[in-house]
Order: sequence, then C-alpha cells, then structure tokens
Amino acid sequence: MTTTTPPQHPSADDPRILLDDQIGAFEAVPPYPPRTEREAEFYSLGDGEMFLNMGPQHPSTHGVLRVVLKIDGERVVDLDPVLGYLHRGVEKLCETSDFHHIISQLDPLEYISSLFMEWAPVMAFEQLLDVQVPRRAEYIRVLTGELNRVASHALFQGWMALDLGGLTPILYSFIERDEIVEMLAAITGQRMLFNYFRIGGVNGDLNHEFMSRLGDWMSRASVQNQANTDLLNDNEIFVRRMRGIGRLDRETALRMGTTGPNIRAAGVPFDIRRAHPYSVYPELEFDIPTRGHDGGGDSLDRYLLRIDEVKQSLRIIDQCLHNMPDGPVMAGLPRLLRPRPGRAWAAVEAPRGLFGTYVISDGTDQPFRMKIHDPSFVNLQLVGLLMKGNLIADTMAVMASLDPVMGGIDK
Amino acid sequence: MTAIARAWDNLTVTGKILVPLLFLVLVVAPVATVLIALFVGPWVVDVLASNLGIVRFVVAITGVLVFTIPTAFVIIYMEMKVIARMNLRIGPDRVGPYGSLMSVVHGLKFLSKEDFTPTGADVPVFTLAPVVVFLATVMTFLVVPFGPGLVAQDLNIGLLYLFAIGGMNVVGLLMAGWASFNKYSLLGGLRAAAQAVSYEIPLTLSVVGLVLLAGTLSVYQIGAAQAGWFTDWFVFRQPLGALIFLIAGTAEANRSPLDMTEADQEIVAGFATEYSGMRFAFFFFAEYVNVFVMSALIVTLFFGAWNAPFPFPDVAPALDPGSLGIGLVLLLAAAPVALTLLFAAPFYLARSSTPAWQALLLGFITFSVVAVGGLLGAAYLGLDWFAGLAWFMVKTFVFVFVFVWMRGTFPRVRIDQLMGFAWKWLLPASLLNLFVTAAAILVVEALNKAG
Repeated sequence: MTTTTPPQHPSADDPRILLDDQIGAFEAVPPYPPRTEREAEFYSLGDGEMFLNMGPQHPSTHGVLRVVLKIDGERVVDLDPVLGYLHRGVEKLCETSDFHHIISQLDPLEYISSLFMEWAPVMAFEQLLDVQVPRRAEYIRVLTGELNRVASHALFQGWMALDLGGLTPILYSFIERDEIVEMLAAITGQRMLFNYFRIGGVNGDLNHEFMSRLGDWMSRASVQNQANTDLLNDNEIFVRRMRGIGRLDRETALRMGTTGPNIRAAGVPFDIRRAHPYSVYPELEFDIPTRGHDGGGDSLDRYLLRIDEVKQSLRIIDQCLHNMPDGPVMAGLPRLLRPRPGRAWAAVEAPRGLFGTYVISDGTDQPFRMKIHDPSFVNLQLVGLLMKGNLIADTMAVMASLDPVMGGIDK
Repeated sequence: MTAIARAWDNLTVTGKILVPLLFLVLVVAPVATVLIALFVGPWVVDVLASNLGIVRFVVAITGVLVFTIPTAFVIIYMEMKVIARMNLRIGPDRVGPYGSLMSVVHGLKFLSKEDFTPTGADVPVFTLAPVVVFLATVMTFLVVPFGPGLVAQDLNIGLLYLFAIGGMNVVGLLMAGWASFNKYSLLGGLRAAAQAVSYEIPLTLSVVGLVLLAGTLSVYQIGAAQAGWFTDWFVFRQPLGALIFLIAGTAEANRSPLDMTEADQEIVAGFATEYSGMRFAFFFFAEYVNVFVMSALIVTLFFGAWNAPFPFPDVAPALDPGSLGIGLVLLLAAAPVALTLLFAAPFYLARSSTPAWQALLLGFITFSVVAVGGLLGAAYLGLDWFAGLAWFMVKTFVFVFVFVWMRGTFPRVRIDQLMGFAWKWLLPASLLNLFVTAAAILVVEALNKAG
C-alpha cells in the first residue's frame, strides 16, 4: 500500500523558516502556494519590483489593515489588502444574543460613529415587532445621530491632515469631537460606545447638562468648523497633495457599490436619508451636497464634501431643536421580545455610507441570522483601483480620503 | 576585623569598583596634578606655546563636541514645548521646572535601551552610519563663528568646507538605509540621496552671489563684512539668495515639510526604522544639531552674524578694577553683605510677620539676580566677544523657532513635488540670482571707473 503524502509547505508558525532561511522570513509572500490566479499574478515580481508590507502595524493604516504593496521605486504597481486582523465574528455573536443585547454587540463596529451602528438593527427589529416609535424618540435619534456625524467628520478632517504629515489639525479635531462626545455622554453615559438606542425608542430623555452643552457648542460650532477648515483649505501643500489623486469616476463608483460621501464626491447625489427616507428625515430641510467635476471626484473632493456635510448636519440639528415634540421617548414593550417569524431590512446613512442590517427571525428571542452591510468594507474595495500607479505617499492620501474604519470592515 | 574591612565587605561589586575610583579622583589626581605642574610644568607650557595652532584646534574640537549635546537638548525641549503650544497642549511639565529636564531624561532613556541589530543587517556599516552622520554634522561647527574671535578654525575656504562636510551627512543616511535590511529604511536612504543631490545645488549656488559681494569664502570674513547698521546685512542685498538658502536648508536638514527621509506616515521612520538606543540617539542629536547649524549659517551669511543690528556706542567701563588695589578686595568682601542687607530691608519692613531669615533669603536672591544681571551687562559692554555671542545666539534661536514653527503647521510635500520644486524653481532662481548679482557688480565697477 502506498500512501502519498501531501506536499509540505512551510507554515508561518514553522520555526524552521527562521533557522533555514532567515531572509525568507522577512518576505511579504505568503508561505502557501497561490490559491487563485490573481494571487499568483500578484505574488510574482517583475523586473525592479519589490513588495512592501504595509501594516498591520503602521503609523497610517487606520487600524489594523495590512496592505501588501508591489512597488517599483516610489511608484505603486499593484496592491493587495489583507483583512481580518480585527475579526470578532459579530454576525455569529448576534445569533446567540437576544434582541436587546445585539444593540451593544454592534456598537464597536464603527467605533467613531457608534449611534448609527445601533440605529439600523433597532429599525429592523421595530419592523419585525410592528412597534410605533414615539415622535420625540425619533427626533432625539436624529439629533444625536447628526451630532455623531459631525464628530466623525471632524475626526476625519484631522486624520486626513495627519496622514499628509500635518501634526496640528488632528488635535484641533479632537477638541471638537471631545465636546460632542462629552455632550452625548451626558445623556448616554458613555463617550464612545453609547448603547443609547432601544427597540421602540431611546434610553433616557434629554437632560439639562446635554442641552446646556449643546447650546454652548452650537453657538460657536460653525465658527470653529470654519477655522479648522481654513487651516487646511488655504494650504497650498495640502491642496496640491490631494488634487487629482485617487480619482473615482461616476461609473466605477456605481459599479463598485460605493455609498456615502465617497459616491457623493463623485457627483452622484445618493443619500439614504432622501433616497429611502426613514425616521423623521422627510420632515426636515437639508440639501445633499455633491462635489466632483468631469464625471468623477478626487481626494480633495471627498475631503471638501465632508465639510459640506457638516454644515448640513448643523442645519438638521438646529431644526431638531426647534421642532422637538413633547411626549414619551419609549414605546411600551415587554421585556422578552419574540417577534413574528419573518425578515426585515433596515438601512441608515452612516457617516461612511449605507449601513444596513438584514434580520431573519424564527419567532424566538434571538435572530436566526443577521447580515451586516458595512460601508467601509464596500468602500475599501476601491483602494486597488484608486491607488495603482500612484506614489507611496499618495496611498496614504487616498486611503485617508476613503475614510475606512477597520472595526466595521473586519466585523 | 577592622571597621574599614567590614565596610569593604558590605560593598557590592559596583561599589568595590567605584570607591577606589572615587579615591583616585579625589586624592591621587590633585596630588599628581600638583606634582606634574611642579616638575614638568615649564616644559609642557613651552611645548604648548610653540604649537599654539594644534592646541587651539584640540580645544576647539573638544569645545564643539561638548557644546553639541546641550544645544540638542535645548532645541528638543524647545520643539516639544513650542509644538505643544501650537497644538493647544501643555507639553512636558513633569521633569524639572516646566519640564525642562525632559531632554535629559530622553538621553537617559536612549542610554538604557537595548542596542538592537536586526537579523540580516550589514553590521559594520549599520554601526558606522550614526557615527558618520553625527560627525558630519558636528564638524560643520568648526567654521561657524559664534562671535568676534570665537571661531574654532577660520578656514579661508570655510564655505566650501561647510558644504563638503554637510554633504557627508547624506552618506551616513544612505549607509543606514542600506545596512538596516529593511525596505522602509532603504526607501528612506534613497530618498535622502535623491533629496541631497537635488538640494545641494541650489543651496550652494544661492550663496555664490554673496561670495562675489563679500569677496571671500571664509565664513568669519563674511560675518565681519556685515558690521554696522542692519541695512548692511546681506539679506537686503541678496533677498532671493536668502530665501533659496532657507528652503534648501530645510531640505538639507531633513526638516518638515521637506522631511522625506523619515516621513513617518509613509515609510515609518525611514532610515532610522531599525535603530534603537544610543545609535538612534546619534541620529536624533544630529538632526537637532543640524537645525542649529542651518540656523547659524543663515544668521552668519545673511543676517549679520554676531553683529548687533545697530552700531552700539562704545562705552568702556568707566572704572578699571585693577586700579583699586586693596579697595577691590574690600569691595568684593563688603558689597554682597551690604547689598543683601539693603535688599532684605524692604521685605522685612513691609510685612511685620516676615521672619528675619526669610527676609535675608529674599534679599540674597534679589542681590544674586541683580549681581548676575550687572555682571552680564558689564560683560556685554566691556567684552566684544560676549556681546557678539549674545546677538548670535538670539538670532540663531529665532531661526530655530522658525524651523519648529514650520514643523508644527505644514503638511509634508510629496517626493515628486519636492524634486520638481528643486529643479524647476530653486535651481533657475539661484542661477538668476547669481547672474543678476554678477552683472550688478560689473556695472557698479564700470561706473566707479568712469566716475
């Protein structure tokens, strides 16, 4: 009897790699044979090319993203993003949590804009349970959500500058974000993972501290926003590094399923708040800013668009405060929820695009299946298209302008 | 067992080494010094006096080497504080008053860190690279004039020496980049080489016009040529040259926004990625000393070197201390006591609850401040080199501040924009500057001959 031993490939854990071929241990090439044609093509080097392993620990990869760059001198020939360093198995966790717990499971997905991660599942569960959310609760959701959007975009502005080598704007951004999260902490009790929205309303009404902080901030928000913006927009170095880099045209944006500011910067006025209205957005007045020229948008357009969006968010916050109705903030619901068997899809316009959840319920107190659609994951697919042929330094500019958050990508 | 033997046994191994050394330093060294001075002193003095050039060189080198560390410390502290203020932060405030000893702690941290050599590195080159960078930077100090007469070596080809030695810096960076066996380091080293090749040319060409005007390559002579009112400074005759020198100098010192070699958002830390401990500290010090040298050069070449912005009235001290004789001794003994009492009186009389010793202490502190101020003032008026040094340091630190300021505000330019700027703008501009200066000199000479 002959036994054929499977071909032995050295694994990354094999200590012999270090003993036999020390140089080999430093290569970015995976220690297994190529699994796809694409991998075979990528991991074969042409003349004068080399791999540069950027991440998962690198000063500017926004978390634990690893990108293997194939470079020719300073020019990026090709690249291969490697995901999964932050994988928590959130979708599976949701299947073993009851409906109340799921809200807190989803919070850390996009940890910069947690309220939107609560909003989508809460809306989906409400559809399954046929709950009518009180109007005051809906207004509070919009108010806090838009505040969170401003905080997220403020942080984006700072990271963008930091990735281009400017040290100062990030700290100014954090001041603005800090004011907002402190404000939200006054009603939610947390600064980062708020866990505030509930099925059928929100956890707790607006309080005095929140209102006084909000009034304080609103009185100078637009001025402060303008000051932070002037610091960068009038800077010749900053503009020259962004203009024309990472150009995304309309067709590609639509084909790749891009959402959020990235597609609006390419000239497509697609916003869930208007395209598929939810909550009380139909009652509010705001514009959907678009940027872009010649049927596409570059990094500078994506950057400027987010600043436009902050202005619209401030408008929405202002209207929410003026139109805020009286009433309860929670619908009466039993503690143990057993929705009808069925399916529900709900999507919100998160700061990075369409964040949606698809829930299948089998009538128990836990969902049978929960699919999470994360905007960062879809937007990250663009890096391969946008970065090819650019310089290494542009890689940072493009990646920062797409604004991915690794918590949501790796789920 | 005697007490000494018991004490000796209680010492640790380190103590057993240190205590005899301490004994040597405290007892043997002074005795030996006195003996040497008595018996071979005259001979040593003769030898030194007949080789004054060599003595001066050795003293200067030692002085320069000793001078670099505090300079780097001060600039590092200044950068931490200034950038913190620009970021609306406080900056270091724990170690020493206002965090002023932070740099010292930085230095100690580097000393106590592991001296790591990565696998696959080219060990001799890897070890040598920081030395090359540090030496290349420190050696430029040799021709920098700190004041009238305060120059280590007044070379008649001083400027040429400066650019030659300054260029060696890049060799060290390239060595570090190549030997580290790291792709980020390699990219950083290659960037350093490309940047140096591009920016050395406008840097050198921008001062050629100035050399034509001054008629000398000696840095000291160029400084001396700018005496008088501040309108005599070369910046007013070579404004374009000064601007080009500032920009190219920023690139040459690898400072933000032109710090391609260690762009941390792109290539982690560039050539220094694999360095740790004292080897990294050499790079670190070299960078800040480089900032100082660049500022000092800008001041020396374009902003009047050690000269005050206006000719100071020549006020010699009215009193010659030597002529007082025994009175001087009495004055030195009596003045501190009398002045301390004088300054203490208001503190004691103003508040009856102040104890006498507190009033005396406050009086002594006030006296010390006044005395130091008076001595410095007298030194400024009486000593040319002191006045020159003061002005030189003030001006240099203004430009150090400018470098720090740029780092705090600007984003980094891209490598192709950096190179394009050097070749498309700086080089033609410096050539234009040279052409216009030369033509102007010819015209003025012709006019002088005709008239």
